[in-house]
Amino acid sequence: MTPLEHVTARARELLPAEAVITDRARLRTYECDGLAHYRVTPGLVVIPEDVHQLAAIVRACSELGVPYVARGSGTGLSGGALPVAEGVLIVTSRQRAIRAVRREDQRAVVEPGVINLDVTRAATPYGYYYAPDPSSQQVCSIGGNVAENSGGAHCLKYGFTTNHVIGVEMVTPDGEVVRLGGDAPDTPGYDLLGAVVGSEGTLGIVTEVTVRLTRLPEHVVTVLAGFDSTDRAGAAVSAIIGAGVVPAAIEMMDALAIEAAEAAVQCHYPAGAGAVLVVELDGPSSDCEAEYADVVRLCQDNGAFEVRTATDAAERALIWKGRKSAFAAVGRISPDYIVQDGVIPRTALPEVLARIAELSRESGVRVANVFHAGDGNLHPLVLFDDAVEGAGEAAEEVSRAILDLCIEHGGSITGEHGVGHDKAPYMARMFGEDDLDTMQLVRCAFDPDHVSNPGKVFPTPRLCGEAPGRRKGVHPLQEAGLAEVF
Amino acid sequence: MTAIDPGSRPGEQAGSITDPVTYGAGGFDDHRPPDAALLGDCVHCGFCLPTCPTYVLWGEEMDSPRGRLYLMKEGLEGAPLDGAMVEHWDNCLGCMSCVTACPSGVRYDTLIEQTRAQVERVHDRPAKDRALRALIFALFPHPRLLKTLRGPLRALQRTGLDRRLRKTGLLDRLAPHLAAMERLTPPLAPTERLPERIPAVGERRTTVGLITGCVQGAFFPEVNAATARVLAAEGCDVVVPPHQSCCGALSVHNGREEEAQRYARRVIDTFERAGVERVVINAAGCGSTLKDYARLLSDDPVYAERAVRFQERVLDIAELLDDLGPRAQRHPLPLTVAYHDACHLAHAQGVREQPRRLLAGIPGLELREIADPELCCGSAGIYNILHPEAAGELGERKAATIVDTGAEVLVTANPGCLLQVTSAIAARGHSMGMAHLVEVLDASIHGLAPDRLRSARSTTPA
Amino acid sequence: MAGAVVDGVTAGSVERPRTTEEVADVVRKAAAAGLTVVPRGAGTKLTWGLPPTSADVLLDLSGMDRVVEHEAGDLIATAQAGTPLARLQEQVGTAGQRLLVDETVPGATVGGTLATNASGPCRLVAGTMRDLLIGVTFVRADGVVAKAGGKVVKNVAGYDVGKLLVGSFGTLAVVTEATFRLHPVPALRRWLTVPVGSPQEAQELAQAVIHAQVVPAAVEVSLGRDSSLTVLLEGRPDGVEGRADVVRRLLGDATAESASPPSGWGAYPWDPTSTGGDRAVALKLTFRLSGLADVLAAAEGLEVSGSAGAGVVYAALPAGDPVEISATVERLRGVCAHHHGSLVVLDAPAAVKQAVDVWGPVPALGLMQRVKDEFDPDHRLAPGRFVGGI
Repeated sequence: MTPLEHVTARARELLPAEAVITDRARLRTYECDGLAHYRVTPGLVVIPEDVHQLAAIVRACSELGVPYVARGSGTGLSGGALPVAEGVLIVTSRQRAIRAVRREDQRAVVEPGVINLDVTRAATPYGYYYAPDPSSQQVCSIGGNVAENSGGAHCLKYGFTTNHVIGVEMVTPDGEVVRLGGDAPDTPGYDLLGAVVGSEGTLGIVTEVTVRLTRLPEHVVTVLAGFDSTDRAGAAVSAIIGAGVVPAAIEMMDALAIEAAEAAVQCHYPAGAGAVLVVELDGPSSDCEAEYADVVRLCQDNGAFEVRTATDAAERALIWKGRKSAFAAVGRISPDYIVQDGVIPRTALPEVLARIAELSRESGVRVANVFHAGDGNLHPLVLFDDAVEGAGEAAEEVSRAILDLCIEHGGSITGEHGVGHDKAPYMARMFGEDDLDTMQLVRCAFDPDHVSNPGKVFPTPRLCGEAPGRRKGVHPLQEAGLAEVF
Repeated sequence: MTAIDPGSRPGEQAGSITDPVTYGAGGFDDHRPPDAALLGDCVHCGFCLPTCPTYVLWGEEMDSPRGRLYLMKEGLEGAPLDGAMVEHWDNCLGCMSCVTACPSGVRYDTLIEQTRAQVERVHDRPAKDRALRALIFALFPHPRLLKTLRGPLRALQRTGLDRRLRKTGLLDRLAPHLAAMERLTPPLAPTERLPERIPAVGERRTTVGLITGCVQGAFFPEVNAATARVLAAEGCDVVVPPHQSCCGALSVHNGREEEAQRYARRVIDTFERAGVERVVINAAGCGSTLKDYARLLSDDPVYAERAVRFQERVLDIAELLDDLGPRAQRHPLPLTVAYHDACHLAHAQGVREQPRRLLAGIPGLELREIADPELCCGSAGIYNILHPEAAGELGERKAATIVDTGAEVLVTANPGCLLQVTSAIAARGHSMGMAHLVEVLDASIHGLAPDRLRSARSTTPA
Repeated sequence: MAGAVVDGVTAGSVERPRTTEEVADVVRKAAAAGLTVVPRGAGTKLTWGLPPTSADVLLDLSGMDRVVEHEAGDLIATAQAGTPLARLQEQVGTAGQRLLVDETVPGATVGGTLATNASGPCRLVAGTMRDLLIGVTFVRADGVVAKAGGKVVKNVAGYDVGKLLVGSFGTLAVVTEATFRLHPVPALRRWLTVPVGSPQEAQELAQAVIHAQVVPAAVEVSLGRDSSLTVLLEGRPDGVEGRADVVRRLLGDATAESASPPSGWGAYPWDPTSTGGDRAVALKLTFRLSGLADVLAAAEGLEVSGSAGAGVVYAALPAGDPVEISATVERLRGVCAHHHGSLVVLDAPAAVKQAVDVWGPVPALGLMQRVKDEFDPDHRLAPGRFVGGI
């Protein structure tokens, strides 16, 4: 029996029959996540129901040296849950109980497969919600959010997953069940939780997550402003931030993105706009009203030709509809496209947008821009038609050049989609060898044998224990013929 | 990005790790396989997952719309349509909740119908499965047969005379469904046939043809009667052609394409002869099929054009009444009502606001929303016969959220939902009135006592 | 600085580098010679944690005191580790901005505050250093210079090594520069204080405030000589006024209002300048918010203050018999544990540190030791100061 067959046999003993998937047709439905152009059919898929089953599978993998990959709802956009061919895909979609909602402690305790929006739904009757709101919040799982350190439109004001997850139960790559962080703040010792959040499943699999709940705002105002250019819209953003206003969200879309959204959902954004801003303010009514007046004035001062306001849920939904559907909507104006995710310092926005426009002109590749303008997180959508020869390559090139622009301006190659499989090669452009080596020290502490989501995040794996004088015996990767000591 | 087309995106990594697809013979045949272009619209974002009843139940990719599309893609690549693949397509309730949720506009409804037609043709089902399906299709689309058989079938079940039939488990599955229908049929309900023409009260605003439906006609004739009364009160001449055939919905939903086309042609003939301006239907499942006749008959040289014209005239009763606007006076109806979205109305036809507006227009009536409204109740045509366990779980979930509203009466617009939810609510030991939307409107317009609705079809624990 | 001492341990030598490269040089040489290295900023919290088992080289970072970059438009600033917090605040303050962390001990530096993850009242609204740090440059135990994070607030590229370094007491690497996200200085700050009669009352009031729509920047409680609950509101004048009305209603008629912080605001309930053998035992207690009353009741008789809104309070235990102190610590620790929190003895006289379990039980200690072994395999950075002998 191969090691994978051993794990499969073990899984059959441990899990109900329907939770162990081995036939090709079914396995193939798991071969990609939300980034569908990378595909690997996993050797085995298991869907454990609790931490005991999950830990037992991980232990089996660890003992037999079989790599595994965790997957939640499979909505990631960087190929972070791309399976390994001779490995196991561990799916958390059946661990989806909300274990507790405690208003008095402002906490909720959930299983990893719980859908992000369901946490908010469970907390709403108590006057609370779960603040991180990735665009896929109606489907993405909390376990996946922890892995990716997910953001969202409203993280400008409220922070990311890492600021809202305060404790996890986790299965380490050797199958041990540990608790990191907790219900109370500042657990003594290293902030391992801080390292685990955003580690993209390479340090283990969380099996329970304790999150901070945030008070539902008393008042929410959403402003939609139309500008004739992204420059003017960008200037308005700077003016708003400069005035000391911290909106819950500031989102920008350029003309091409607006065109796509109109085609898909008829959101009726201001006609002829070269850019629109969606600014959302929330908080106590008195603060919101004052800030609202400022925002409207600052938009108008910077050339907004139309400003609309939504105060009830239905009007707000209409404004957000265009923005939230933008990614998928681009499919209506272009047969194929690449969603890019990069970050720049917000002040570099005008220059970077100009450079992107230039890139687009030079290459003839259209680029639609949708982004979280408040924190400089760009989501350029690079359009192409795969039926045209060379179009795909040209689009890839533009997409890469945009990332280079981000790095050049002191930004990041990913603001929220993660590195995953897709951007591992870019890590070496953003970080030096020593930086990557240091990150991998953490990996070596958690997963010296690289069984947990191997091949993600880092362009080249570090052979753990390679520092002089530290090697004890033959490294398992070396033994398995997967790595050599140089 | 046409992301699930193989090799759609270039780039140096894409080629190297993509699993090369190699299959021998098998897969779909050449007659209307799932449309590759429609399949290519799926970007694999997963937004459909939480809206899919079977994904909610089992948490498996294969039992989500995204997974089922992926299996179709595998079939297009030549993967044999084996039991595993077919099982997951069969598990689909056809509620079309995913169609509503999809930001990319994937026509899952079309794709699953194309797939099911292929399955029925290409896949060899196990004998037991075949027998059950044959029995259902011998029974359900035939109103008169259905009506005649409901008593004897129950008797047969009780006596257990036919042991061989019993061993197949068919009756056990069929019987609860029929029993539920039986329970729901008010013993005093008027069973007389509607007249062929019912004149408008007051000035005529339009002439409508009423489709009476199979299950609706056989088990809820009073719903059809109420529909006719409300339409007339709102100024419609109502034409009820006799000897209507089944609309073909059950056949379409289960891949019996030719059978469905036969039914569709007959319905078109019937209503062309009736000379009506609009065709109205009060059963959601039928409505979504009637509104898709153009596609169903697109290859038919004689009927293609006529199907388009017919389809344009079809409206759900809620759409028509909302569109006409209220003319008849509404009498107060002091009731709390929970409105349940039938999938084939909300998702397949996009009719959500109209029934709510109509209910809200009744003085004294309080409308309450049910949590997770997008989730199917598990009825889904004959799904609850073919997949009793899944349907049962979904029914329990739906019943729980309905009971939570504290409403006195559940209102919906589909006989299947009414049957399914009624048994689930009864199983919880809860007593609640059940009514079709038009019955509530009828009560308000004609000043009937609300108690009728509160108690109508109240079920008792079995 | 000959004869420099780290919590009772005399340093072999003192190095005072001015750049990251110079730090790397010192650490590299120490590595080659197998010497232990203890980093130090202003030395205001050098006695926190356990004393190092050895301090061959005291790495004094007070010479690295420059604010390297302040991009007001991007609301970020980068400072060298030895920069006093006050200087950083002054500099970013010119643009109407601030680093949203309290200077809980006068004179504290950026690096020292990072290493101890020290926090004050404002943690309720902005978290601690862990939540404000967006990029970090550091020198590893082997003298290699590395960085993590960057200069943008939103960034998920690679592991968040910065978070591991926050609160690590200098045991993993020597931080030389740190980049933070900044917040605007509010137009108005308003403190509303009400006396509290009992732990139960403190909890009830705290709960009332955190569940209300007033977005408090801080909810502080103190018990002892002066027992009160204080709510800090920040923001635009019109907004703060509106919210102050609500808070006054919640806290009652005895509420006093002030435009400047009440005395002792954000200070620990002990004298941070006292370093002798008779200094108070400094405790940090954490708990679920619903455990506030129990924790305060258990600490009755001690000077206690801290964040009722965040679930962190500090208590001072007068110096005394180490055995008795140890018993008190364990009793309080039990109450915190019951409310899913912990108790750490931040500082204490040497005799007490020897008698008590300073760090208490630490979950996932094995993993932490493995992290330490990877970063500092020879255990030469601040050895012994941290949990589990790290």
